[in-house]
Amino acid sequence: MLSTTTPRPEREQRFVEILQRLVDKSVDEYYNPYREFDWPETLPSEMMWMSDDLTSTYGTEIVNELTEAQRQQLSRWESINFYSLNVEGIRELLVEVVRRIHTRGFEIPSDFFHHFVGEENEHMWFFAEFCLRYGGKIYSGPKLNSIAHEDPRVENLLVFCRVLLFEEIVDHYNMRMAGDTSLHETIRQVNRVHHEDESRHIAFGRELVSLLHADLVGDLTPGQREEIEQYLKRYIAFSLRAFYNPQIYRDAGIPDPLGFRERLLAEPSRRDAERRAVRKPLAFMCKTGIFADDVLPGI
Amino acid sequence: MQSATDQIKQWILDRHAEVSDIEPDFDLLESRLIDSLAFVEFMVLVSRLSGEDIDMESIDIDDFRTLRRIEARYFGAGVR
Ligand SMILES: [Fe+2]
Ligand SMILES: [Fe+2]
Repeated sequence: MLSTTTPRPEREQRFVEILQRLVDKSVDEYYNPYREFDWPETLPSEMMWMSDDLTSTYGTEIVNELTEAQRQQLSRWESINFYSLNVEGIRELLVEVVRRIHTRGFEIPSDFFHHFVGEENEHMWFFAEFCLRYGGKIYSGPKLNSIAHEDPRVENLLVFCRVLLFEEIVDHYNMRMAGDTSLHETIRQVNRVHHEDESRHIAFGRELVSLLHADLVGDLTPGQREEIEQYLKRYIAFSLRAFYNPQIYRDAGIPDPLGFRERLLAEPSRRDAERRAVRKPLAFMCKTGIFADDVLPGI
Repeated sequence: MQSATDQIKQWILDRHAEVSDIEPDFDLLESRLIDSLAFVEFMVLVSRLSGEDIDMESIDIDDFRTLRRIEARYFGAGVR
């Protein structure tokens, strides 16, 4: 990574070269997602659908209140919730990228955007397919429009930071589940296939975010810089909370689902699991100088 | 014992040091006191305090727009 003091042409040259490499890889590794998966009729209910250490009850005392069957049942809805978060998140990032492709200021990444949009469309398809086949639904939440920042350069930075943070958090789950031999092969495969494409998207996102930030940072007041950091940290906290969707506890048949969720959130051990999920993106945000420290706020 | 509306108001004030009080008809969403990042948690709070099972997928966002509307919809109109 280059520093913010590196001259613009040099940074741009590096960006062009990296993008070319990522586009070439995307073309080489192109696959047909509609043929890639063999979807079994059903997945067995007497097993975990999410790696134990990724579930929202992991590391708590509360998990001992559940029978093994209840834990498996909950892991099934946690798994469906995870792919649903992907469906929802991809919808948002596609809207943002499509809005910018081949517009002024995005001349260089537009070629990569074509691959990105195509791949995300396919990801959304297989995640939705999984949810509908094995959960009978895609979880969704209330849609409250986030209002764009009045400065388009700041808005661009915020949008691509959100995309990157989302993809990095998802990737933490994908990598773990792809390698977890205790999970069903279909679950491992969905996570593995996604991780392979996302490694390019994340590499791209880090470069783009670094570049957008370097172009902007000199013009920011300390107050504006602070505002960006606080907003993105709240976005991280919000993304982590999404794994505690109240609906999963209800669907798993847990009595007083909201009270159960509240108790989980209050467990200090959950902070450790959450930090593991965001360790890499937090380190990146600190290294680029977008974050001054790695302290996360509550919601 | 604080009323539910007072607890809801306090929850918002705790997150906005710059605000000292909220009028019953003040638009919480337009003003972004509750933004898209806080909305789910806010809804869970209202659901817990009211004991009503709120279906996240079919709620009317306008029911959460002001303290007065929240009170009318979830805590029985005109209690206060
Ligand atoms: Fe994806
Ligand atoms: Fe992606």
